[in-house]
Amino acid sequence: MEQTNGNVSNGAHGETNAFLRQLFEMMLTEGIEKGLSRDSKVVEFKHPKDLEKIMNLKIDGEGASDQDLLDVCSDVIKYSVKAGHPHFFNQLFGGIDQYSLGGSWLTDCMNTSQYTYEVAPVFTLMEKVVLTKMLELIGFNDGDAIFTPGGSMANMYAINVARFQRYPEVKQVGMAGVPKLCLLTSDKGHYSFKKGASFLGIGMDNVIPVKTNDGGKMIPVELETKILELKEQGLEPYFVNATAGTTVLGVFDPLDEIADICKKYGLWMHVDAAWGGSVLLSQKHKHMMKGIERADSMTWNPHKMMGPPLQCAAFLTRHKDLLKDCHCANARYLFQQDKFYDVSYDTGDKAIQCGRKVDALKLWMMWKAKGDSGFERDVDKLIELSRYLTNQMRNREGFRVVAEPECTNVCFWYIPPSLRGQEETSEWWQKVAKVAPVIKQRMTEQGTMLIGYQPDGDRVNFFRMIVSNMSAEIEDMTFVVNEIERLGKDL
Amino acid sequence: MQRLAFVSFLRGLNLKKIESSKEPPWFRYLHHKKQQMADGYSFDDPKVIKFLEDAHKLMVEEALVKGSSKGAKIVDFVQPHLLENKLDLTITEQPEADDKILDACKKIIKYSIKTSNNRFYNQLYGGVDHYGLAGSFLTDVLNSNLHTYEVSPVFVTVENFMCQKLCKIIGYENGDGIFGPGGSFMNILGIHLARFRACPNIKEEGLYGQKKMILYTSDAAHYSLQKGASFLGFGTSSIEKVKTDDMGCMIPEELDKKIEESKSKGHLPLFVMATSGTTVFGAYDPLDKIADVCQRHGVWSHTDACWGGGALLTKKYREPRMTGVERMDSVSWNLHKMSGALLQCSSLLVKDKDILIKCNGTCAEYLFQPDKIYDVSYDVGDKTIQCGRKVDTLKLWLMWKARGDSGISERVERAFDNASYLTERLRTTEGFRLVRDKFQCTNICFWYIPPSLRGQSESPEWWQKLSKVGPAVKAKMVTEGTMMIGYTPLSAKGLVNFFRIIVGNPLTTHEEMDFVLEEIHRLGKDL
Repeated sequence: MEQTNGNVSNGAHGETNAFLRQLFEMMLTEGIEKGLSRDSKVVEFKHPKDLEKIMNLKIDGEGASDQDLLDVCSDVIKYSVKAGHPHFFNQLFGGIDQYSLGGSWLTDCMNTSQYTYEVAPVFTLMEKVVLTKMLELIGFNDGDAIFTPGGSMANMYAINVARFQRYPEVKQVGMAGVPKLCLLTSDKGHYSFKKGASFLGIGMDNVIPVKTNDGGKMIPVELETKILELKEQGLEPYFVNATAGTTVLGVFDPLDEIADICKKYGLWMHVDAAWGGSVLLSQKHKHMMKGIERADSMTWNPHKMMGPPLQCAAFLTRHKDLLKDCHCANARYLFQQDKFYDVSYDTGDKAIQCGRKVDALKLWMMWKAKGDSGFERDVDKLIELSRYLTNQMRNREGFRVVAEPECTNVCFWYIPPSLRGQEETSEWWQKVAKVAPVIKQRMTEQGTMLIGYQPDGDRVNFFRMIVSNMSAEIEDMTFVVNEIERLGKDL
Repeated sequence: MQRLAFVSFLRGLNLKKIESSKEPPWFRYLHHKKQQMADGYSFDDPKVIKFLEDAHKLMVEEALVKGSSKGAKIVDFVQPHLLENKLDLTITEQPEADDKILDACKKIIKYSIKTSNNRFYNQLYGGVDHYGLAGSFLTDVLNSNLHTYEVSPVFVTVENFMCQKLCKIIGYENGDGIFGPGGSFMNILGIHLARFRACPNIKEEGLYGQKKMILYTSDAAHYSLQKGASFLGFGTSSIEKVKTDDMGCMIPEELDKKIEESKSKGHLPLFVMATSGTTVFGAYDPLDKIADVCQRHGVWSHTDACWGGGALLTKKYREPRMTGVERMDSVSWNLHKMSGALLQCSSLLVKDKDILIKCNGTCAEYLFQPDKIYDVSYDVGDKTIQCGRKVDTLKLWLMWKARGDSGISERVERAFDNASYLTERLRTTEGFRLVRDKFQCTNICFWYIPPSLRGQSESPEWWQKLSKVGPAVKAKMVTEGTMMIGYTPLSAKGLVNFFRIIVGNPLTTHEEMDFVLEEIHRLGKDL
């Protein structure tokens, strides 16, 4: 049984490197060169039970040979969805970049935890540089920030930190010692606020939705009305989340007006910019985040529009020491005060986590390589491609755009010829609702493209196409329209 | 460079000309863009592939082959404010050329700790398994998100497979599991599940007006319970710390007493966190007895096996350390510690098959549509608190497949064997003193007593002097870069700074353990 043993260097350098080299070749040719080519499938779909049978996952008493492993890796590539493929439009992330990929690999080679300068000297400084840059772009010039395992966690940090700021004793006494708190977010806000409220002991019922307009944006007057209503009911609203780039429609809540209201009533203003925050990189489009510098905190997921591989998300706040005060536990075995370097560089006690994966390197490397101008160009391009696509759809029979895009979400219905020119009754809409799932099934089975669909409020199932792949081109936009038509015209 | 040319092109655009046209402004120059756009992105571009090849070669050679070789300098220590100058971390407006990026990688490697080297004994993780590494590289190339089967068919399948395997190892006949970003998070998730089981309506209503709920753990337990209690809204005042014995193991009778006390005050005992392998002493709490107490009082039992869970992988060390683990309601287990996966790789395994989804599910309709073309119970994302989630199981599975159960088990057995050898050497070598006579796990705690302090009366002043030895030796150790071992005080047991060495890297040998003593002596003998 051919196997390379021990760690990478074990006297048998040649053999160990051989496996890595072979897999590397395979990743490049199968996973990247072929996998991301427009001629290949985005997904080779199998139902779960079938996939369980195909994948040789079984682990035996003895280790598998290098060849067996390479064969399975080949299957892993084959049956995985190619999120870097130019026709993958399903989620708020996509695309792949060689610098962040290299940075992510290097992170693994250095295999360490982010909690102290002692074990992560370079990464401690690097995280500081990247987060400082992000804070400056926002306008939180003397603030603080940390990388979190995802946007949901960042949102939860906001809920927690805001609660602590208002009632510092809550760290010791818990919710029993504070009035009944509630938080507000738009009815299009991300569901992590509900999960977060439940997790943090506030309760999902105390996440109060604020009405949005037809375009999906929070209505400031409704926000103010709700706040007053809640106070009258004896509740204590303490936190407002504004969304910068909603999940489905990709629109931006009016931050300035929301900031006015929060200021008036003394509420913490958080902006969930997990998706839309990256527009701050563009001189041309950052106006969509106008007012952000007035917020108390923000969530920003670079692993969405900026492109590094998951995970890469950040919680940022204007308040300098709050993270540390809120979360610290001063564990003596890790954060010894008698270390021989300045221990204020140990960031671990700012987090809820103890061990924490290094997420800064892949973002730093990508940013260093591209420069600010590179990111600006890319964000501009993504936004412009989405406008181009919207325009195409406006001029093409059978396509109906749901709303004007602000971020790069292009939402639309496809209305097959058989349903055109009819009266738009509720039965008609029910028929339209069935179109997207069928087209999705076909596109998945044929593997040509992946676009998500969902209902939203009163609207029946529509497609939500996301442009977030930095290597997307105009031809890919045209492809979307043609392909949907090809898949759905006989419905 | 083409990229720069494009930027100046954009800036030079005469917008007036464009406004006079009927087409929207952006449309016209997008055509121009297309000719100049793709430089440096497309994987058809040989430069892009070359960068990846060069980067890969560099990191394997410098970080791993050289970094993990015997006698390599494992840390090139520089004070933080000076390191800021050595590394050119600033990001500018302009892009940086590939060769400069590769230079940056070299510097990053130089000034980072070579945790792949077996002489990195500082933390509960260490070593780099090349199969795990390969799995992690592949995960990044495929860059997916673990919330739905739709976008991660293979990875959901792999995660389900691994959770079932871990459940089987524990002894859960019909359990469930999930992976997450770290052990702290998994412990906190455990508390959240316990709360849901006790009072399902808290999910909607929050903790307002609820009886005070109490969380129990030992005085040697990890601080994630503390952080979790605040985060979840209980407050740190809801924690009751249970006395441990001399070895640092929770005393079940004391736990029982504490629970009775809480009940008499009208509080609700909610959650007991036992520890399998404490952070400092590596103590294993007696799970069977603790399970008895929990069962009697109807309290959720959880064991934090983040560190010591590795013992489950061996026949030799599983009993009595983990005896009774199958009786616990939940187990947190960090595979990135003793088992050798790369950070992060943490799991929570739960006896009750349905509770994760019941507690955490919110069925967001844009993501978990019920009308999908496949069985939507495979959309595992709703089982946890996170939405988007990194894939952490491929690297674990690939490593385990490659090593086989026997290989994974051997890794842990080697660690115990080396730790045992080291303990004996420390016991019998002058100038070294074990903090406890024996340790249950592979963390070994000891003092080094330099010649100048030997044979003296062990007064409080003497102990004060001794407490300075650890930091001083550590400073030298790091400056010379030969080795890294952590030190800590332990005020709960009235102990001043001692060394805590973690033995786990499969490259470790008995000879290497001898080196530890020699090196500490060399660094500390003049103090």
